[in-house]
Amino acid sequence: MTTLTKTEGEKAPGGPEAFLSVRDLRVRFSTEDGIVKAVDGLSFDVERGKTLGIVGESGSGKSVTNLTVLGLHNPKTATVEGEIVLDGKELVTATEKEMEKLRGNKVAMIFQDPLTALSPYYTVGRQIAEPFMKHTGASKKEARARAIEMLDKVGIPQPATRFDDYPHQFSGGMRQRAMIAMALICDPDLLIADEPTTALDVTVQAQILDLLKDLQQEFGSAIIFITHDLGVISKMADDLLVMYSGRAVERGSVREVLRAPQHPYTWGLLSSMPRLGGDTAQALTPIPGTPPSLLNPPSGCPFHPRCGFTSEVSGNRCSGERPLLPAGRGAACHLDHEQKSTFFIEQIKPRLG
Amino acid sequence: MLQFLIRRLSGAVVIMFLIGAFTFFLFYTIPQDFAQLACGKNCSPENIAVIRENLGLDKPITTQFWEFMVGIVSGRDFPQGHCSAPCLGVSFDSGEFVWDSIMDRFPLTLSLTVGGLVIFLLFGLGTGLLAAWKRGTAVDKVVSGASMVLSSFQIYFLGPIVLSLLVYQTGWLENPKEASITDDPAGWFMGLLIPWIVMATIFTAQYTRMARSTMIEQLQEEHVRTARAKGMRQRYVFFRYAWRGSLIPIVTIIGMDLSALLSGAVVTEYTFDLAGIGRLAVTGSLTKDLPLTMGVMLFGAFFILILNIIVDLAYAYIDPRVRLA
Amino acid sequence: MKPIRKRTARAIVVAVAAGSLALTGCSNDSGKNNSKDDSKSKEDAKAQSNPVAYGDAQASNGPAEAVPGAKSGGVINVYQQSDLTHMDPGQIYVSDAGQFANLIHRGLTNFQEDDKGNLTVVGDIATDSGKSSDGGKTWTYTLKDGVKDEDGNVITSADIRHTIERLYSKVIFDGPTFVQNWLSGSDYRKALPDGPYKGKHLPDSVLETPDDKTVVFHFKSPQPDLPQALAMAGYAIVPEKQDTKEKYDKAPAALGPYKISEYKAGKTLKLVRNEQWDEKTDPVRHQYVDGYNFSNTIDQESQTKRLIADQGEAKNAIQFTDSVAPTQMSTVVGNPATKKRTIQGYQVYVWQLTFNLDSAKVKDKKIRDAISYAIPNQSMVQADGGRYGGEVAGGLLAPTLPGFDPKYDPFGKLKKPNGDPAKAKELLEEAGFKKGTKLSYAYSNTPRGQAQMVIIKNALNKLGFDVQAKEIDRATFYEQVGKLKNPYDLYMTGWGQDWPSPSTVITPVYDGTQVADGSSNYSHIDDAQVNSLIQKALKQEPEEAATTWEQAHHRIVEEINPAVPVYYSKQMQLFGSNIGGARFSTESSYIDINDLFLKQP
Repeated sequence: MTTLTKTEGEKAPGGPEAFLSVRDLRVRFSTEDGIVKAVDGLSFDVERGKTLGIVGESGSGKSVTNLTVLGLHNPKTATVEGEIVLDGKELVTATEKEMEKLRGNKVAMIFQDPLTALSPYYTVGRQIAEPFMKHTGASKKEARARAIEMLDKVGIPQPATRFDDYPHQFSGGMRQRAMIAMALICDPDLLIADEPTTALDVTVQAQILDLLKDLQQEFGSAIIFITHDLGVISKMADDLLVMYSGRAVERGSVREVLRAPQHPYTWGLLSSMPRLGGDTAQALTPIPGTPPSLLNPPSGCPFHPRCGFTSEVSGNRCSGERPLLPAGRGAACHLDHEQKSTFFIEQIKPRLG
Repeated sequence: MLQFLIRRLSGAVVIMFLIGAFTFFLFYTIPQDFAQLACGKNCSPENIAVIRENLGLDKPITTQFWEFMVGIVSGRDFPQGHCSAPCLGVSFDSGEFVWDSIMDRFPLTLSLTVGGLVIFLLFGLGTGLLAAWKRGTAVDKVVSGASMVLSSFQIYFLGPIVLSLLVYQTGWLENPKEASITDDPAGWFMGLLIPWIVMATIFTAQYTRMARSTMIEQLQEEHVRTARAKGMRQRYVFFRYAWRGSLIPIVTIIGMDLSALLSGAVVTEYTFDLAGIGRLAVTGSLTKDLPLTMGVMLFGAFFILILNIIVDLAYAYIDPRVRLA
Repeated sequence: MKPIRKRTARAIVVAVAAGSLALTGCSNDSGKNNSKDDSKSKEDAKAQSNPVAYGDAQASNGPAEAVPGAKSGGVINVYQQSDLTHMDPGQIYVSDAGQFANLIHRGLTNFQEDDKGNLTVVGDIATDSGKSSDGGKTWTYTLKDGVKDEDGNVITSADIRHTIERLYSKVIFDGPTFVQNWLSGSDYRKALPDGPYKGKHLPDSVLETPDDKTVVFHFKSPQPDLPQALAMAGYAIVPEKQDTKEKYDKAPAALGPYKISEYKAGKTLKLVRNEQWDEKTDPVRHQYVDGYNFSNTIDQESQTKRLIADQGEAKNAIQFTDSVAPTQMSTVVGNPATKKRTIQGYQVYVWQLTFNLDSAKVKDKKIRDAISYAIPNQSMVQADGGRYGGEVAGGLLAPTLPGFDPKYDPFGKLKKPNGDPAKAKELLEEAGFKKGTKLSYAYSNTPRGQAQMVIIKNALNKLGFDVQAKEIDRATFYEQVGKLKNPYDLYMTGWGQDWPSPSTVITPVYDGTQVADGSSNYSHIDDAQVNSLIQKALKQEPEEAATTWEQAHHRIVEEINPAVPVYYSKQMQLFGSNIGGARFSTESSYIDINDLFLKQP
């Protein structure tokens, strides 16, 4: 419990070390059925050289957040409010041209499915070399050399010949390595990895994660690592943000959040995750219910319809009042500190085995 | 690649043979025969016999078919002179070598089709891309709406209207006519301008809509998003990544349209009083002119088969995934 | 069937594909024009029925009388729906090619037409229209000096011999056969199976060329019409040196004022001046314009639209053998400016409702007469374009034939143009007619044919018949009804003269000796009296023959009645505003091709 207070002080949002600082971000999409609040008042920071993990179910707003950071949302249907400050520069109000200069250069992104995320019509090498030429003004030849170097770095054998291959000629793991090479070719300060291993089989997953870690050490980039897999997060991230229904519901260091999670949703995530070496007799407990509709979010705490602890909170606060996420380490829940640790230790932890 | 071409071309030969045989024997099931049609006022049995003999219609059908097919490969001799391979015989009606007639008519049909194609591709794809680029805006709505209206027109409906407007009422343009592209390029262009305008108006709309919808679809592809995430300029992403993906459906439709345009050339040709392959085909079948009908059928089939091979090659060029080993 | 069958067969090529609805040789208008009837009436066309005169050497001398105001130069554009059927003279029988033949070909004789439309047969390359002897069995022609083909070869009697003899070979199968028949009988081909091509020739007892300038025809019986027959394009000269047999049809050598400079089958034909043509030798033709550009792909509707609009090249354009589109006739005559640019006159065709005399149902003449009275001729004309397209017929001979009698009206159609059903019923009663008798009526699937079918069906059903209408494809219509054992009782047929003599109408259509499969005696009439009158008339000089033909005509219409006279067809063509010298030619029933020039070359 002592570490908790300590980290809380260190991780105050808006701290001087923050490389990326997101404040009260709201992203809304207008659809035929109404307004979708995809991200609803989200704040977080990422430090240089550190990894922030973001977990949450599909539709929790984690991908939208990161696309918004890169300005890749559709400006015709999406409205963005709040602040995104990258290395001192405001991005929400930045022009498309300014954003183009950032993308692939200062901030790069790795997508979930490398098969669909790479164009089938151009060679892998060309796609890797393209941003390098664009951002550094390098010649075709220089870009080719650099791309081959990057392919080599991400562990593609015979990179010079594979340069001219098309994505369909690569295996799934190789494609993701190529994506990583593409993302890192301009030595970005921030790398956003959106579920980079979800589409890969387990052995390849581990290789890719190791690769990312190694490269992070070499390049010193900050990483935002988006996943719904807490097991992956524990290996990769320094800090962790748990998102639910377009909001952050819990924040803290990876250790803190995984060891002593405070939000019933985080408990649910942990309970539904299989563990190696865990008690096989212990059944996995899925979170009951379905993710909330973003068109008509539940009143009060958006998690309350699925939460098993609403009765512990007095006076219908869960359905009537939206809980706030405190600055630093903490969770957006009406349960008090005491209840949070007691319920976790007494009811949840034993089940995690 | 070479193997692919050999395979496709030999397939084409088989198909052509079957088409030829089918046309030939089908022709003989029609109760009407050319000798009788050609026979004028003095339609005596003697004259019919003379016509039959002159045309070789007195020989057994299989012999006629065999001689026709052999002629394609090795040429034949006729009273009109030697008909060198590929010899498609002599027209019953005009007495011309069918191959010569086809070669005489083909430039027009090709000019009409390809010229129209170039114009409506330029305009259609241009407006479609514009609409996709400006999707959701007023420009998009105007372009999409106009294309809906225009694509419902038909050549035989729009043709006379345009003729009346540009020629009969105002005299701004001359009536469509054929001129040689090499001898008189300006005449060639001006002579076909009206048909091109009409064809382009009708077909442009289709390509506008298609280009727009496939582009919008492609722009939502993940690899297009990746390209943007790399910092590539929007225009570059639009024209390189999204456009490349749109090409496959567009090329497919172009291939189909080219075949349709070539076989539908007859309507265009009659609307504008021009003489191309389409008119030749109609003449052949209405006058029961067997060699002419056979010739045009085979030539048309050959051309469409070649077109299909070109479309397949284009696929392979556009999409490396279908590239041939 | 002069032009009708062949033209029909060819016209469908365009009509079907272009959605055009009218047949070529038969013009019509909406018939609803309510202005004063200024269409050509029988009186106006009197000249069309004057007897043909045979011209002497004086009349046969060139040059032709100048056309007032004619200028030289320029090119006339010619609009045609389809190619000419033939260019080899020996193959030319139909009118489009005949019209064309006047531009490039020359024969021994030709028709000369004065400005009133009176016809004279004159010597063309011969010095006169022919000297007959031996009671019309021998005809002698002397060639003019200075007649050359387009390459400058002088035409000699050997070329005339060659021209006639090649008609015996298998190269020729589509042209007229009158002269061959007269010389060598109906199986004339046996007399010279290979024509002149293998060195054999007709004996001097048939065709004699005593010197380079003289040709003598020896016939078995008198042939008073020979000068007119020789004026047909089918007997125009094919010089021996130029003859390329089958290929000649694509590239004939010219003797006339124009020669072919470029021909693209199914598309275009360009004629230029033939420098070897000497106007001093030609009593008929002129060479005012530099040439003619034929566009053979323009359908009737387009021709009419272009000429009405009169823009650009259309100012210099003419309709050659096609007519104003029936759908646009009212537009044309409704506007004085376009009406001024028309030529009008009678065509040579008479439309008739032919009875199949072999059918028991119409065997009784009273039944046939009843039907004849009942037919509403005026409605039938309306269905073919109204008064600019046709005119109610009294008899079976057209107003274009010599001796035509406008008052001849045995069925009272002048007074009752829409028929006399009361009289018809009376006749049926006399005949002991049974109500509900089925009549099979064959018609061609043209819009005209279909419209007329309705009229005939209504008229006859009112009399108590049960008309079974049988539609036949237009391309095979004449072939179907030309079969001797055809299953029909009634059918509409049209026939036109080959030259202005009843011999080219009554002989092929009503001569009982001609009844055969594929013959043009569609009614199968075989009357001894008619047959003998025909034989008599064929041997008489034109003036004398006219009376005999009239006798035969009356016998046919009044006493046999093999076909109901329905209407005479009329012609209307348009030409561009820059065309000068345009007039209707009695001889061709088209625009007179010999006198045209450009007002502003």
